[in-house]
Amino acid sequence: MGTMSEVVGVVAPFDKRPSSPAASPSPSKTPKASPLAQPLPTEQPPSDRIRPNIEPQNKEGAVSAEDGEDSGHGSVESYGPHLRLITANRQVKELQTILRDKNTSRSDFKFYADRLIRLVIEEGLNQLPYGECTIVTPTGCQYQGLQFTKGNCGVSIVRSGEAMEHGLRLCCRSIRIGKILVESDADTHEARVVYAKFPDDISQRKVLLMYPIMSSGNTVVKSMRVLKEHEVEEHNVILLNLFSTPSAARTLTTAFPQMRILTSEVHAVAPNHFGQKYFGTD
Amino acid sequence: MSGKFNFDPPSSASSDSGDENDALHMAADHSASDGECPAPNQGRDVQDHELEICTATRNPGSPQLNNADSSGSGEEAMPVDDEQTFEDALPATEGVSTPGHMSPTPHSKPATPLKQQGLLGQVRSPRTRRQRTSSTSLSGTNSTTCRSREPILRGKRQAIYTSGRPPWYDAQGQMVEPFVIGVCGGSASGKTTVAQKIIEELDVQWVTLLSLDSFYKILSPKQHEEAERNEYNFDHPDAFDFELVIKTLKRLKEGKKVEVPIYNFLTHRREAKTKTMYGANVIIFEGILAFYSPELVKLLDMKVFVETDSDERLVRRLTRDISRRGRDLDGVLKQYFKFVKPAFDYYIAPSMVHADIIVPRGGENEVAINLIAQNVMTQLTQRGFKLREKLAHVNFSEARPCSLHLLPSTPQVRGLHTFIRNKETPRDEFIFYSKRLIRLVIEHALTLLPFRDVCVDTPQGVPYTGKRIATERLCGVSILRAGETMEGALCDVLKDVRIGKILIQTNQETGEPELYYLRLPKDIKDYQLFVMDATVATGAAAMMAIKVLLDHDVPEDNISLCSLLMTEQGVHNIAYAFPKVKIVTTAIDPSVNDKFYIVPGIGNFGDRYFGTEPSEED
Repeated sequence: MGTMSEVVGVVAPFDKRPSSPAASPSPSKTPKASPLAQPLPTEQPPSDRIRPNIEPQNKEGAVSAEDGEDSGHGSVESYGPHLRLITANRQVKELQTILRDKNTSRSDFKFYADRLIRLVIEEGLNQLPYGECTIVTPTGCQYQGLQFTKGNCGVSIVRSGEAMEHGLRLCCRSIRIGKILVESDADTHEARVVYAKFPDDISQRKVLLMYPIMSSGNTVVKSMRVLKEHEVEEHNVILLNLFSTPSAARTLTTAFPQMRILTSEVHAVAPNHFGQKYFGTD
Repeated sequence: MSGKFNFDPPSSASSDSGDENDALHMAADHSASDGECPAPNQGRDVQDHELEICTATRNPGSPQLNNADSSGSGEEAMPVDDEQTFEDALPATEGVSTPGHMSPTPHSKPATPLKQQGLLGQVRSPRTRRQRTSSTSLSGTNSTTCRSREPILRGKRQAIYTSGRPPWYDAQGQMVEPFVIGVCGGSASGKTTVAQKIIEELDVQWVTLLSLDSFYKILSPKQHEEAERNEYNFDHPDAFDFELVIKTLKRLKEGKKVEVPIYNFLTHRREAKTKTMYGANVIIFEGILAFYSPELVKLLDMKVFVETDSDERLVRRLTRDISRRGRDLDGVLKQYFKFVKPAFDYYIAPSMVHADIIVPRGGENEVAINLIAQNVMTQLTQRGFKLREKLAHVNFSEARPCSLHLLPSTPQVRGLHTFIRNKETPRDEFIFYSKRLIRLVIEHALTLLPFRDVCVDTPQGVPYTGKRIATERLCGVSILRAGETMEGALCDVLKDVRIGKILIQTNQETGEPELYYLRLPKDIKDYQLFVMDATVATGAAAMMAIKVLLDHDVPEDNISLCSLLMTEQGVHNIAYAFPKVKIVTTAIDPSVNDKFYIVPGIGNFGDRYFGTEPSEED
């Protein structure tokens, strides 16, 4: 049974969430737990999904990443099967700490942001489709490898999403990258699409949608609508994100249940200064 | 005494007393043999970290230091360099008379010590490069002994690279004890020549020559005055710091790094700088009193006594000191009869009983030297330095060690492997995909560092509990050449990481790895280290690199070994020898082929990356 803080931490998202596909199975798995005292839910399934082999030394990191978070971090799977975290090790935690620290210098911020982006991108690429193949090594031996199928593209949401383009380019030298500019109305705070440019055949492609910080999720919702207008299918979209609030995560998983979301942290406080600090316009 | 006189061999700044220049004599004599030291050791110059030991402060009262320091050309003045004419060197040094010149003004001497005292704090070592050239042994082997600072010995049959160091430990990472040869003999008996010839005859690449002359005691002010009057007996056992000799030799036998003092024969103190030496497969220890201490004798595996007729030794001394050092007959003879000869009779000659082999006629005796060399080779073979072959055939259990941190085999990792393993992959793609994979390895290795909990303020006003790396001291150590391909990624993720380098090459004939080059940060033991090599087959090179770091007193658990590809054997060999070293890699292949390439493997990673593969593919 968890401590009080754990209980609260876990309960919060459950309470706020009106209905979730993951809600029903959870209580039944732990018979003696009352719904309120749900222990940190099911370590197994998420880690299973995130990385097949979590090594022992990572456990400490993974556990501590869940400590003291009010964000419902521990219950990532409650957002459905399509929201995943990159492996939460101590190294990732350090990067997050640096990015959140208000005393971090701009050059450090950019440096460590790029590192975290790279990790998210690398993990995001793992979700792309591939096929088996056999090649011959210089020693004349066969090697059972795999090859990723072509037909992917990136789409960045201007402006902060563009910070992730470079990381994507470093991994995929010639990938096509589309852009969407979404601005929120100063008065109504309603997001509206100002600009969008995609590869012509984007409907045939897997789309890596890049947007680092999500508070409400409205911008991404709006962008997804644009993509859908271009006949991109929901299940072909992989959203690459660094920091998400629980509410944004919930909004998106509810609105687009087939879209895959990869993030490094779900936390109540979103580091909204990201774009300004990264581009130096603060 | 000081007014006494003129013909003073100026090699000692202080000795102006003409009649007792024994000290000088000794100085010159020993400088000679000491001069040999750098030679076999040259290769290791690259490993000189120039650690400074502040012996300077321990020796107040040696006046000459000041001379050297205060006079601009002190550096030139200091070296006891046979080749150099002293007249050229000395005038700048105050209070020194040159031959044929008259003695210094009486006051100059007392003045210097005082000045010295005051200066001590700021005195840097008299940065003398003691280019004592190849010794005095006039053995006619100048072609070989007069080596400049290149790590190659040209023997009759082959060039011996004294810097390429073959493994000095066994398959378990344990030290294989080096073979220590002691060479003893009277002054000017040809000890250095014999040592030199043994090194040439030996078919061993890594030899350390240690000279007793480095271990002269630091003189007290009173002794120092005696030395100035040339009444200090440098041939007596009390003149040597045997305790330090034994300590140093023991550490060398353990393969540890040692700092050998550099004795300054002008100041009679140790210089602030020391010479860094490593244990070797063969260590030669030579000196007039090499067999004096029983404890020391126990450390010697083979004891060689160079027996040269005393007339001949005297003749050599006379020739050497008079013709090459501008000293007078009287002085040389006086020193000889007062100190050198008695010391030989009382201490040196009796120590002959410890000798295993007595070499008559010194360095000319090729038969004897041949025999010695053969015997040493036999002993070395018995000790077995066939590391790589052994490593390739070590049996291992199926369970992988817990020090292994294998990256999860994600589709990306496998996809990257597919690219870099494919022999058809063009180089630009090979480099690109290697770099991506390397980045993943490095990122993974970073997660294994120690972290501490921190709480930071956020611009949002909510404190955030997170983590930071617990140490600033991070250092990558790349194993040339393939390991260097990983440096970039390390620098990409760690802003001010230091990079050390180790060159280990495979000897084409023996298949053994050999250490050639080493550059590491000074205080390396305080760092968290990432040892980088692209591929680890038997683990022989990686083990050598790790062993080098351990010899630098780096704690084993501060080391991570990062590579792209390893073999099961490599993993087990390293984990077995160094259980606390973290092993980080992206894939493990089953075995190595007879050329020690990993199969299925990547091929020669360095060649493919740098584009130096032979034009014909196998």
